[in-house]
Amino acid sequence: MIKVQNLRKVFRVHKREPGLTSSIRALFRREWIEKVAVSGSTFSVAEGEIVGLIGANGAGKTTLLKMLSGIIHPTSGEARVLGSIPWKRENSFRTQIALIMGQKAQLWWDLPAADCFLLLREIYRIPEDRYRKNLGRLISMLNIGNEMNVQIRRLSLGERMKMELIAALLHSPRVVFLDEPTIGLDLTTQRAIRDFILEYRAELSPAMLLTSHYMEDIQRLCKRIIILREGSIVYDGSLRRVIEEYAPYKEILVHLRRGIGAVPDAEDLSRLGDVVECSETQVKIRAPRDRIAEAANELLQRFSVADLSIDEPEIGDTIERIMAGRPEEPR
Amino acid sequence: MRPGLFIHLMSIETRKLFSYRVDFWVTTVVNMVVTLIVFWYLWEAMFQESGASTIGGWSLPGILTYSVLISLSGRVIRGGDLQMAISTDIYEGSLSRFLLYPSRYFFFKYAQQAGAVLPELLQSIAMGALIVLVYGIPTEVPVTATSLLMALPTILIGHLLFFMLSVIPQLVAFWAENVWSLSVLLRFITMLLGGGMLPLSLFPEWAQSILAWMPFIYLYDFPARVAMGLVTQAQWLEGMLLSLLWCGITALLAVPFWRRGELQYTGVGI
Repeated sequence: MIKVQNLRKVFRVHKREPGLTSSIRALFRREWIEKVAVSGSTFSVAEGEIVGLIGANGAGKTTLLKMLSGIIHPTSGEARVLGSIPWKRENSFRTQIALIMGQKAQLWWDLPAADCFLLLREIYRIPEDRYRKNLGRLISMLNIGNEMNVQIRRLSLGERMKMELIAALLHSPRVVFLDEPTIGLDLTTQRAIRDFILEYRAELSPAMLLTSHYMEDIQRLCKRIIILREGSIVYDGSLRRVIEEYAPYKEILVHLRRGIGAVPDAEDLSRLGDVVECSETQVKIRAPRDRIAEAANELLQRFSVADLSIDEPEIGDTIERIMAGRPEEPR
Repeated sequence: MRPGLFIHLMSIETRKLFSYRVDFWVTTVVNMVVTLIVFWYLWEAMFQESGASTIGGWSLPGILTYSVLISLSGRVIRGGDLQMAISTDIYEGSLSRFLLYPSRYFFFKYAQQAGAVLPELLQSIAMGALIVLVYGIPTEVPVTATSLLMALPTILIGHLLFFMLSVIPQLVAFWAENVWSLSVLLRFITMLLGGGMLPLSLFPEWAQSILAWMPFIYLYDFPARVAMGLVTQAQWLEGMLLSLLWCGITALLAVPFWRRGELQYTGVGI
């Protein structure tokens, strides 16, 4: 449903020097710098797939969504969404996509949600019966109450976000771009929106591309992720594989019985892996996956162990390291 | 062009303007009273100073009627002063949502602008009726119900023309960081060269012959003269056709600006 080939976007930005003299000089001559927002991205997204687009601020996630939804033109490269070139903005394309931006209101602030939806029905030419059916289903999925007749500007952020979701999905788009849909929301609303997205996917199987800074969103919604760093894709694959590939270690956490047996020594234990924590009662070691059994066995034999657990590293930490350009673990 | 959607968008803007009740009445009264006082004292002083009974073929009641009509129709023609709406969309990134909708952006913006016509028209009719009640209609000015009805389509076309003229300066927002000065300039030029400040017949002959070939005349001077019964039916038809032609020309001129400009659009932020 989405096919992207070497997509690139370079922005030309006016360089602003500080100070009054520079401002006056800029009236006559300006310096421009080129900022590569997206650098040759290639990927595809299938029907019913939710792909998480992850990256630090400025990594190019939103720019990518803007190009794929047809808002901006790329500098070079190709993209096809539902067989159309997005930035040509054919009506047949625009009636089948939706872009939801958590940070930007897209509804009419002065109107109640009910009026906004009626207007959208007219814009998308949704037949009356389909409109009623879709609206009813979305309202019940998002548990909307009496807020339908309240002006958008008077709704809470969570309520507004729910209305934005309804507005974007009223015409049953086959491709949905979600740009930080849970940003700034409380935990309950975040969960409600995540559940809604999953339910919506189960019912209609659209292709979805989601950006979020919340790992909870990514872990709950996406089986596949694309990690962007400075405009380039540095990882495209399953969420599980990212750990195996970029975190070739596991964490052993050992609780020791106080005052019984040998006292752990960090320098000595470093033979087994990276010692994250070492005290009289607790030891935490990151050991290579192929030596995890050996390390656990040695700890059990040398110390009076009250409890031992072996865990995968936090996925968020791993992704954060990849985004920051330090994917490799010390060992 | 979808009439159903156009009317829907227009009615939203109209309802919004009606819902700002305080703003509605304050702008109506203050605007009219201030404008009328300025025109009244200005022209009376000029006639007294010159000692003449006419200036450039205009009597004092005639020129005051012209000024009142310009003031009343001008509000409708400028349609709620939304001439910064397009540049604001570009600067704030609100253009993005319109680009997602399966309809043309300018269709949305004009429908929004047209939504301001009805409130402005009602305000102008109310104020016009009040002025007629207080001062009456000067006998030397042939304003009739027919001439006022004939003026209505010229005002509506003037509204479309004003919108079209404001599009290109606003599209400069794709390249420039502020187009406010261009909007002010446009307003000043259209007022001066369109007869919004004083009748074009008071301009030198050579200037009048140039202005006759420009679109500005159809914004203020032409609708006011039609309302005053100073235009024949043939001139009325010709004027409307020419103003529609200017709408078409300005629309064609805006196309390359839009095509080049939207390539620059960033949707705000990277």
